Amino acid sequence: MTPRAGDNEPSAVGPAGRRPGGTAIGRAGPAVRRRRYGAVQEYLGMLAVLAGLIAVFSYLSPRFFTPLTFQMIAGQVPGAVIIAVGMTYVLIIAGIDLSVGSVLALSSGVLGVCIVKLSLPVPVAVLACLGVGPVCGLLNGFVSNRWRLPSFIVTLGMLQIARGATQLVTDSKTQYIGAPIEPIAAATVVGIPVPFLIAFAIVIAAQVVLSTTVFGRYMRAVGTNEEAVRLSGINPRPIKLAVFAICGLLTSVAAVLHTSRLSSADPNTGSGFELDAIAAVVIGGTSLMGGRGSVVRSFFGVLIIAVLGAGLVVVDVGDPTKKVITGGVIVAAVILDYYRRRLKRGRA
Amino acid sequence: MNRRWTTLALAAAFALVAASAGCRKTQPAGGPGKPRVALVMKSLANEFFKTMEDGARAHQQANAGEYELIANGIKDETDVARQIALVEQMMAQQVDAIVIAPANSEALVPVCKRAADAGIVVVNIDNKFDDGALKEKGVSIPFVGPDNRKGARLAGAHLAKKLAAGDEVVIVEGAPNTFNGIQRKLGFEDAMKAAGAKVVSSQTGEWMTEPASKVVSGMITQHRKIKAVLCANDNMALGAVAALKSAGRIDDVLVIGYDNISAVRALMKEGRILCTIDQHADQIAVYGIQYALEILRTKAAPTDKETPVDLITADDVK
Repeated sequence: MTPRAGDNEPSAVGPAGRRPGGTAIGRAGPAVRRRRYGAVQEYLGMLAVLAGLIAVFSYLSPRFFTPLTFQMIAGQVPGAVIIAVGMTYVLIIAGIDLSVGSVLALSSGVLGVCIVKLSLPVPVAVLACLGVGPVCGLLNGFVSNRWRLPSFIVTLGMLQIARGATQLVTDSKTQYIGAPIEPIAAATVVGIPVPFLIAFAIVIAAQVVLSTTVFGRYMRAVGTNEEAVRLSGINPRPIKLAVFAICGLLTSVAAVLHTSRLSSADPNTGSGFELDAIAAVVIGGTSLMGGRGSVVRSFFGVLIIAVLGAGLVVVDVGDPTKKVITGGVIVAAVILDYYRRRLKRGRA
Repeated sequence: MNRRWTTLALAAAFALVAASAGCRKTQPAGGPGKPRVALVMKSLANEFFKTMEDGARAHQQANAGEYELIANGIKDETDVARQIALVEQMMAQQVDAIVIAPANSEALVPVCKRAADAGIVVVNIDNKFDDGALKEKGVSIPFVGPDNRKGARLAGAHLAKKLAAGDEVVIVEGAPNTFNGIQRKLGFEDAMKAAGAKVVSSQTGEWMTEPASKVVSGMITQHRKIKAVLCANDNMALGAVAALKSAGRIDDVLVIGYDNISAVRALMKEGRILCTIDQHADQIAVYGIQYALEILRTKAAPTDKETPVDLITADDVK
């Protein structure tokens, strides 16, 4: 795909006056200034929510605001962050991927079985595991392209297929891997866990691709108005296929880190991850209708959910209360985002 | 061209469905007169229930002349509506006996009463029906299975040998409102009370590795002095071990589990998990089936039967 002059501006197909949040490529001076100003404001709301949560939990428990807590959260989020990146891409093209939790379990199961049952060397097993996600993703993309099916239903099918395949592969048994897989999650660079660095690098790379490349612009265009993209002579299908494959690959990367952290592959793992990922991405202001989204903001969305989860465990409220609060915070965060966008639109 | 491919794919899909339906049909079409026993399971995704089902199938194959087996499960342990539908389907198939591990100890009572009223022998395994619900429906269904509270007490007592009075411990519970989960928690509490240890926190790990690891991470942040983590199943014990490892506490906090799944044996050898409980999952369904056949043969009045629970430590897995 080579950039061609002017014929693929998202604004050409997007509704007038609505700029993709924080991702528009400004060329003129005032636009740059507005974007810079916007960038600070962009993340301010989410940082405020994050700081608010941390403040509340620190007030409720003297043990919360400690390095240990943040080290624990840094250990827990990488998988969720990486999945949220893939989900952001999928939502931007106005798709959805409900299969990420099951695909994570299948990747993890393949990794476990390769090491434990087939006694393959770890690098080979990791490669096999990394192959699972793209295959599932390509299948999702192909089927939804070929028969023009909504990705909702295709990935809903994949959710079941991958879960069933996981149970077949692992014989429904938790595979304990132990020492061979542990070094990945245990490694640190200047005190920061390597998985967190990997997740962070993926977030940055994905945001750069989204905001500065032609592929990124195509994605937003497909999500805004697929028909218009097609009519302007661009085939949207390879883009959709690629996005689902990327989402699958990222899910498998997350599976490697996840398996390494838990030293074992549980065939039931990851159930409900799709909803956590979608919640994180939507908290980050990515539209479920497509066309608009930001990877960095999804990252903050994951952090909000992770801090909330960790805080509720530390404060030790009952399970029903936990669920009520989690749901409430998710909705509240999205409402906040609504006001942020309205403010921004009012000013523009 | 395109349409032809579509037709072909559709035809292939139908052929698949037809083939699988055909496979299923061959089972009940065996010899006449042989009793047909339906095994209605909980989640087949869970190793414990998988083992239970495999045990039942092996038993049926060894005793193929005595009865036919139709085994079915639901996709997760809480899919009550689907399990009720399964019992109804088994009634429609006119099986002679239903051996059921209910996903909910109250919600499955009415449908099982209907089955019993229709002359089907119903035997309850694994997860005991609520006595109040049975009484209210005026039905008596025999329970064949382990005493989870006793098992948990056994594991807790083994742990207590390594604890001093006043030590702090935490419990990782099963999914909320499950009978087994509640019984195991009660058993752990009994043992800790007897040992004078203090349970400082008890939260759910939803029976799974990853949620348990998150909960334990939080617990050790909040309670720095804990000496042991008591987990209501082995998958959650794996999660607890992962959490303790990443917090660098694996050497000074003890972990116990429940179910004796294969993954835990390696960890017991490594000394990361102290003990677990074997409920002989492969035999639970078999006990239930044998009892159902016995009732069919002798028309005896059904009573509850307790199956064994055994403590498994590192010494048992050499």
